[in-house]
Amino acid sequence: MGREDFIVGLEIGTSKVCAIVAETRPDGTIKIAGVGEAPSRGVRKGEIIDLETSSICVREALADAEEKSDVMIGSVFLAVTGGHIESFNNRGSIQIPQDREEICEDDFEEVQAAAREVSIPQPNQFLHSILQHYYVDGKDGVLNPIGMLGQTLEADFHIVHGVGSRIKTGIRCVKELGIEVEDVVFGPLASAQVVLDHNQKNLGALVIDMGGGTTGFVVYSDGAIKHSGCIGVGGDHIDNDISLGLRIPMARVGRLKTEEGSVVLGQTLPGERIVLKDEHGFAGKEVEREMLNTIIHCRVRETFELIKKRLEASGAALDFLGAGVQLTGGCSMLRGVDALAQEVFGLPVHVTCVKGMMSGPTSAFENPRYSCAIGLVKYAQATSVGVRRQSGLFSRLVNKLPFFGLW
Amino acid sequence: MIEINRQSSNSMGIELRIKIIGLGGAGQNALDRLQLDGLDGAELIAINTDAQALAGSVAPIKVQIGRHTTRGLGTGGDPEIGYAAAEDGAEEIRSAVEGGGLVVLCAGLGGGTGSGAAPLIANFARQQHALVVAFVTMPFTFEGRRRLAQAEEALASLTQQADLVVCFENDKMGDSVSPRAGIHEAFAAADQMISQSIRAIAAMLQRRGLIRVGFDELTAALRSANPRAIFGYGEADGDNRAHAALEKALRSPLMDRGRLLADAENVLVHIAGGPSMTLGEVTLLMEELNRHIHDTTRLLFSTSIDPQLDRKLSVTLLSSLAAGASAASAPPFLRPATIPEPHYEPEADVAPAPAPVSARSTDAMPVPAVIPIISPEPAAPVPPPRPEPRPEIAASAATESVAAGKPSFKPNGKPKTAREERQEQMTFEPVTRGRFEKSEPTIIDGQDLDVPAFMRMNVKVK
Repeated sequence: MGREDFIVGLEIGTSKVCAIVAETRPDGTIKIAGVGEAPSRGVRKGEIIDLETSSICVREALADAEEKSDVMIGSVFLAVTGGHIESFNNRGSIQIPQDREEICEDDFEEVQAAAREVSIPQPNQFLHSILQHYYVDGKDGVLNPIGMLGQTLEADFHIVHGVGSRIKTGIRCVKELGIEVEDVVFGPLASAQVVLDHNQKNLGALVIDMGGGTTGFVVYSDGAIKHSGCIGVGGDHIDNDISLGLRIPMARVGRLKTEEGSVVLGQTLPGERIVLKDEHGFAGKEVEREMLNTIIHCRVRETFELIKKRLEASGAALDFLGAGVQLTGGCSMLRGVDALAQEVFGLPVHVTCVKGMMSGPTSAFENPRYSCAIGLVKYAQATSVGVRRQSGLFSRLVNKLPFFGLW
Repeated sequence: MIEINRQSSNSMGIELRIKIIGLGGAGQNALDRLQLDGLDGAELIAINTDAQALAGSVAPIKVQIGRHTTRGLGTGGDPEIGYAAAEDGAEEIRSAVEGGGLVVLCAGLGGGTGSGAAPLIANFARQQHALVVAFVTMPFTFEGRRRLAQAEEALASLTQQADLVVCFENDKMGDSVSPRAGIHEAFAAADQMISQSIRAIAAMLQRRGLIRVGFDELTAALRSANPRAIFGYGEADGDNRAHAALEKALRSPLMDRGRLLADAENVLVHIAGGPSMTLGEVTLLMEELNRHIHDTTRLLFSTSIDPQLDRKLSVTLLSSLAAGASAASAPPFLRPATIPEPHYEPEADVAPAPAPVSARSTDAMPVPAVIPIISPEPAAPVPPPRPEPRPEIAASAATESVAAGKPSFKPNGKPKTAREERQEQMTFEPVTRGRFEKSEPTIIDGQDLDVPAFMRMNVKVK
């Protein structure tokens, strides 16, 4: 079994399965001990469509991580994503009994339960309910109400939910290998934990996690999550568009996109062409560079605009995000993606990777591809203070922590 | 004694009498299915030329037509004979449809009785001041081009006569059964679907609706240059029945997984459930449905309580294909322009029928030229395949249609190229989803995001 202070973050992504083994130190820092990775098969748009194949990929990635870190993996924190995951904000309100005035810890759970008393579609399950703000007798700005005096306790929660069966499929995939899943975390939330530092969360920021199969987003403002969600469109779609538009086999598209493609238009010479060498099974071809870029541009722009539309519909005020837009995930490495995001959102944009108190191989945390998996470790570290391990699979560790702490 | 029945009010102020006519072999099969499933408040009438097939029907009222023309046999797949038989049996048909407020005509087009008699029967019913809704099936592609052509001609003629035509493509319905299933199952699936849609429309127009849909709305939903229907039906029980029923409805073969809905201008939704149906369920269902349709799509919504459904909840979605969507989604009808011109020899070769079902005998028939006599001007551009449906029936309109709109299968010596005029548009490149072809579509705001973005934005790529 893994040592107590080692945490494993596992992301079963559309393009890769990635396991991060990391040591958490009491001072809050994280030391990455090993990164295991395997190309992913059997996953589309962030959701497992072939359990058996995915399970093999997970095994490969975990074995790779074990070998590199020299740690036996017994349990993991698992990231879930997919277009089915939705979120909303809701306020819970409770009356403190007359015979006592002081707010105690049990009240926190009660107010959270009250906030969850909303109807979500039948097949869905709650994934997270994350505290945003407390109000005691209508007064806001309360950081920790425990021990305070008052009659009504209200709390705003950000509630994330998704289709239960799809979430369970991911868990199943890991459990088949005899490995426990300690908790499931919505991928973009995990990414945001390491991409944003405390200051940025307070200033307000939009994190966009551009993955292979999905694009997730999280809005922080005043130190709390205001909105999150996921669109089932990612790098795979860009590949597919290129493949269909330029008639190039899928296998060849990935390299063309990363090596030659760009999101920015109008920066090529007229008629500039890229020569694709012939190789096994592909006769070789010349494609116009601007065409390639146009296809990528259309897709990425559309995705950004969809996110913007969703945020606007939810009432999130983008103008007040002091720390701007932070792009992460594998697709954020596309050339010029920051310029396009800036154009769409009208905010300063950075392509970022893991920040903060990290040590270990720099190649791991300086690559936006790993943001989510490392974020899982950070999530685990932040939520595990004190009460780890007594809780089961779907435990809401956050529930037990009535502090702002992580969020 | 006057009894006031709260539920019996409808647009005409009287209870709507529904007569459902199953015409020919295919129509009769659908009718049998309807009879077996049970339908309240409607008269079922089977009309056929083939006495033997008619005897096998479970419909309570049976009308044999063409006693003199076919002498109790089938038409041999010849619409000419079907037409003549209907003329022959005009009296019987008239008396059968008499007094019906709504006449639902179901027939399989492509054969003799269905293709030949349907337009005429629709005409008779209209003369009796009835609203006429026709549910027709187009033949399977494997039944041959000739049959398909016959069906197309009959469809064009029928759209002139009926108030509303809902057309199902057997090819698509065949998709719902596994390729290994017997051919009977494929046909049964088609019958089932027609039966379900008739039931839904009957329930909608009859009194039971809490939120009713009138005939005018119904025709608005389905009025389109292309009478081919998008139809989805789902039924489920259990805790999660609203969600499950909608899922099933969207999975219906004519739905193309709900993708076709994205293009529809009008969508008619009918939710029926037992007394236990809650508002919450209806809301949930409509919210989910809204994700599959475009913002600008007009939703015609109705709901009714049907005690028969008990703990079940059923959803019916009905719409017609947008004009542009037809080409991409109806490949069997993209005939090459070089289709041989039909030759006109009325009493020509009648091939023995290798019929899949009784009266669906096959082709080798001369294709009758169906030229609606009301066609605008000789030189007028493409006449729309179907005229504006008229929700209200004026007496004059009926007589007028006798005079002018009489469908004719008589070759009139002018093989006008009605067919060429109706040639369908083909989009240059079919919509494609590449590697996402088989995965669940990601539809946001009515856009299928799996289709390349540049294609949806109409960006030209070399």
